[in-house]
Amino acid sequence: MFKLNFKIALRNLWKNKTASLINISGLAIGLASCLLLLLYVSYEWNFNKQLKDEANVYQIMINFDGPAGSISGTGPRTPNTVGPALQQSYTSVKAMSRIDDGDSRLIANGRNSFKKRGRFADAGILKIFDYHFISGDQKTALDAPNNVVLTESTAKLLFGTADVLNRSVRFEDKVNLKITGVIKDLPDNTSLQLDYLMPWTLFEGMYEWTKRPAWTNYSWTTLVTLSPDADPDLLNNSIKGIIKKHVSDATSSPMLFPFSKLHLYGEFTEGKSTGGGIEQLRLFMGLAIGILLIACINFMNMATAKSEKRAKEVGIKKTIGATRGSLISQFLMESLVLTLCSAVMSIVLVEVFLPLFNNLLGIKMNIVYANPYLWISLIGIVLFTGVVAGSYPAFYLSSFNPLQVLRKRTPSRGILSVSLRQVLVVVQFSFAVILIIATTVIYKQIQYLKNKPAGYQMNELVELAQDGQLEGKFELLKERLMQSGAIEGICQLSGSMAMYNSNFWGMEWPGSNETERHMVFSQMATTYDFVKTTGLKLVEGRDFSRQFPSDSAAVMLSVSAVKQMNLVNPVGKIVKYQGDNCTVVGVFEDFVWNAPSQKQDPMVVAFRKQQGGYITMRLNSANPASANLAVIERIVKDINPAYPVEFKFVDALYAEKLKSQKILGLLSNVFGGLAIFISCLGLFGLAAYSAEQRTKEIGVRKVLGASVASLMQLLSLNFLKMVVLSIIIAIPVATYVMDNWLKKFDFHTTVSWLMIAMAAAGTITIALLTVSYQAYKAAKANPVDALKYE
Amino acid sequence: MITLQNIEKYYATKGLKSYILRHVSTTIQQGEFVSIMGPSGAGKSTLLNILGMLEEPTYGTYEFMGEDITSLSERKKIELYRNHIGFVFQAYHLIDEMTVAENIEAPLLYKKIAGAERKSRVADMLDRFNIVGKKDLFPNQLSGGQQQLVGIARALAAQPSIILADEPTGNLQSAQALQIMELFKKLNEEENITIIQVTHSEVNAGYGSRILHLLDGVIKEDLNVVNL
Repeated sequence: MFKLNFKIALRNLWKNKTASLINISGLAIGLASCLLLLLYVSYEWNFNKQLKDEANVYQIMINFDGPAGSISGTGPRTPNTVGPALQQSYTSVKAMSRIDDGDSRLIANGRNSFKKRGRFADAGILKIFDYHFISGDQKTALDAPNNVVLTESTAKLLFGTADVLNRSVRFEDKVNLKITGVIKDLPDNTSLQLDYLMPWTLFEGMYEWTKRPAWTNYSWTTLVTLSPDADPDLLNNSIKGIIKKHVSDATSSPMLFPFSKLHLYGEFTEGKSTGGGIEQLRLFMGLAIGILLIACINFMNMATAKSEKRAKEVGIKKTIGATRGSLISQFLMESLVLTLCSAVMSIVLVEVFLPLFNNLLGIKMNIVYANPYLWISLIGIVLFTGVVAGSYPAFYLSSFNPLQVLRKRTPSRGILSVSLRQVLVVVQFSFAVILIIATTVIYKQIQYLKNKPAGYQMNELVELAQDGQLEGKFELLKERLMQSGAIEGICQLSGSMAMYNSNFWGMEWPGSNETERHMVFSQMATTYDFVKTTGLKLVEGRDFSRQFPSDSAAVMLSVSAVKQMNLVNPVGKIVKYQGDNCTVVGVFEDFVWNAPSQKQDPMVVAFRKQQGGYITMRLNSANPASANLAVIERIVKDINPAYPVEFKFVDALYAEKLKSQKILGLLSNVFGGLAIFISCLGLFGLAAYSAEQRTKEIGVRKVLGASVASLMQLLSLNFLKMVVLSIIIAIPVATYVMDNWLKKFDFHTTVSWLMIAMAAAGTITIALLTVSYQAYKAAKANPVDALKYE
Repeated sequence: MITLQNIEKYYATKGLKSYILRHVSTTIQQGEFVSIMGPSGAGKSTLLNILGMLEEPTYGTYEFMGEDITSLSERKKIELYRNHIGFVFQAYHLIDEMTVAENIEAPLLYKKIAGAERKSRVADMLDRFNIVGKKDLFPNQLSGGQQQLVGIARALAAQPSIILADEPTGNLQSAQALQIMELFKKLNEEENITIIQVTHSEVNAGYGSRILHLLDGVIKEDLNVVNL
């Protein structure tokens, strides 16, 4: 029986090639989309899970006190003292590691020098992370200060081979390090990326200031592994006061948070996680299920439509002794055969499109075929899809009364079957329309943020890390660069223009009260020509200038700072910044330093000569950028020969800020389009069946003198009605959802009626085109053929 | 074998009962060859459907091999289909997706007959109906008469005790029709299979042993055919 059923299933497939193709490819596209999205979800889900004891690794977070016992914010960076203190006083802390930011640092094998991401960390990191050692002993690899562990690709880059144990590299042109281990490259989905790893003791040896205990300098990531029986909540309560114990006026307290959860649950209010990336991930999961559902609906619709033809088969089989069970299993098997074909096709599709998808998202995912979860979930999806898609036709068809189908010849077209099919089409199209509207809104929001003025001129603005000699010889560099004509302006900044990186509180100003002193400002330090180079807009006052020696104790404030501080005539006022009295010399228009979608914190730009970090330059727009950069590179190399010169364009860095919205926009774009495509595929199939089913009616009407146009109208109208209904359902849902989404942003666009109208018109047009092809074909057919058939 | 008592069938539309069958009572013995005749709308097909348990009478009792059918479950009915009843239809109703051999084999599969036995029965049928050469063809590749032969072969494959045929020659040319009737007669006489057919044709009815004349749902005549 099974064999015969299987054979018949294949024959059926072959006989209705177009329908089968529509069915299989529709489902395959749905499955492939679902798989791609789930792949992405699992990629994000497995972020930071490459740990030895995943459930017990915690990151120390710092809660900052707000007014009246509240918590004003939670940060991921800790002082250099908290980790060691915890390890000393709590036996449940089994491993601890402080980890620095992992900046690009110089590493060289002789002349072969590169700036690569090097991280300093306590040796405990090797007990926390599950690094895969190719060579070297992971127990002792970071024990001595002059040790270094390279990743495989760093080793190959420097030496051309991974077999480099005990060889030596030169770090930052200052010290020689012995390679004590080579590890496999880290996967993409870890937040602590690195190209080489060095012991914290080296860090302390090279940079004296990192050695000093600084309980209120929040600069480092600290991870700990707790013993499995430790109660993190209890521990959290116990460690709360540890900073305040050492610094009496400190306003921060540490808190342990599961490290692997931080990536997706990284937003905190009042010291409690309130979500984060998980929301977007849930959205994608919804999208994945939605698309699969659309494809399943197609499948079911096609199968029930076909049922009109297969009713006869059911009737006959019943009279020759088929039970309902055997019929159900036959139809389920047919649907499973189809889903299996689709699954195979979908894997091919995923393999083909994965590189493109990776490229679009800027990540590296791949299908690990050895992963049992992949197969379990794939088989699960296939079974689920097959059973869900096949169940309706299976149960519906098998319930046919043999007499009805055999005697009356026209199969029972129960009210239920037709209306259910219509409901399914409406559901499908509603979903598709919602996706289209969502996509347009997201796209518009991205455009809005992109076009929102940043507050400074970011074109032609490049920045360079102030490494090595560039710090000491900045004035020389400035002079030579200005002379060369390659740049129009240059300034030294404590941070990147495009990356928010520092804030503080505790500023005092005339008339400020106790709570106002808790106000958080963002801060940047610079020297001369800040405004001139960046193209900020000065509202009042002036830039820092050599003509005013007093500028060594001067600050500039942003407009929103002035507003929130309630300063009238701010220029000339004295404020207390970082304990020093400084004169306000200028007020500048707020610029986007943090996320472009959020309101900017009030900002202080202070004059500090010794605090470098980045050199920011405005290229001379009279010359081509490449020529400018070549000149700059030559001069910089001349002054600072040990370091490669790596320019960063500020506008490119700025674009990075919109990354998560862009991914959202991109994914909803692609998958919204696919949803529409699959829906139309289904509509196409349904229209074909409906036309076929009404062949006789069309023939009779034609004989009676109906025109092609009126017949097309007759055939298309039903489908059009369903699509219009879907649009009516989708619009309020989409508007509501997208309004809520937009509310997350301080600056946002609105859901406009024009967008909705366009989405509606687009959907109707596409649906109409799909249906009318079939309608035209049916209407043009020779009526004799249709009538002869009966 | 079959006992009908006071069978009635009517449809109530808008409070009006429109009768299809009225007071039909009859007995059919094993080995009879009965033809049901009558003008269109007389209720012939309905009667046959009731006999074949495809339709239920509104009123009356129907005993099939001593069992009361009216209270039989779906499962039991299917058992009867499998083991005792073979249907032959005017429009053949072969399964389009199956070859000739598979069509004949299908009821045996449902009857859960072992593979070897199945094969031999199918081969036997093909042989008997002279369609061995056509066993791998699909129904739409056959003529009407050939299709009906396959239909009968399928009905016989399960070795039923009764064949119900609804105008089995209605779609056939007269030569083919004769062939089918000869076959029925032979089956009836040689294998003692009960045959009940609905027919319009006096000639066809002549092959049987008994004729039930229906008119407006009532048995008007119950004749024994006397073969000359």
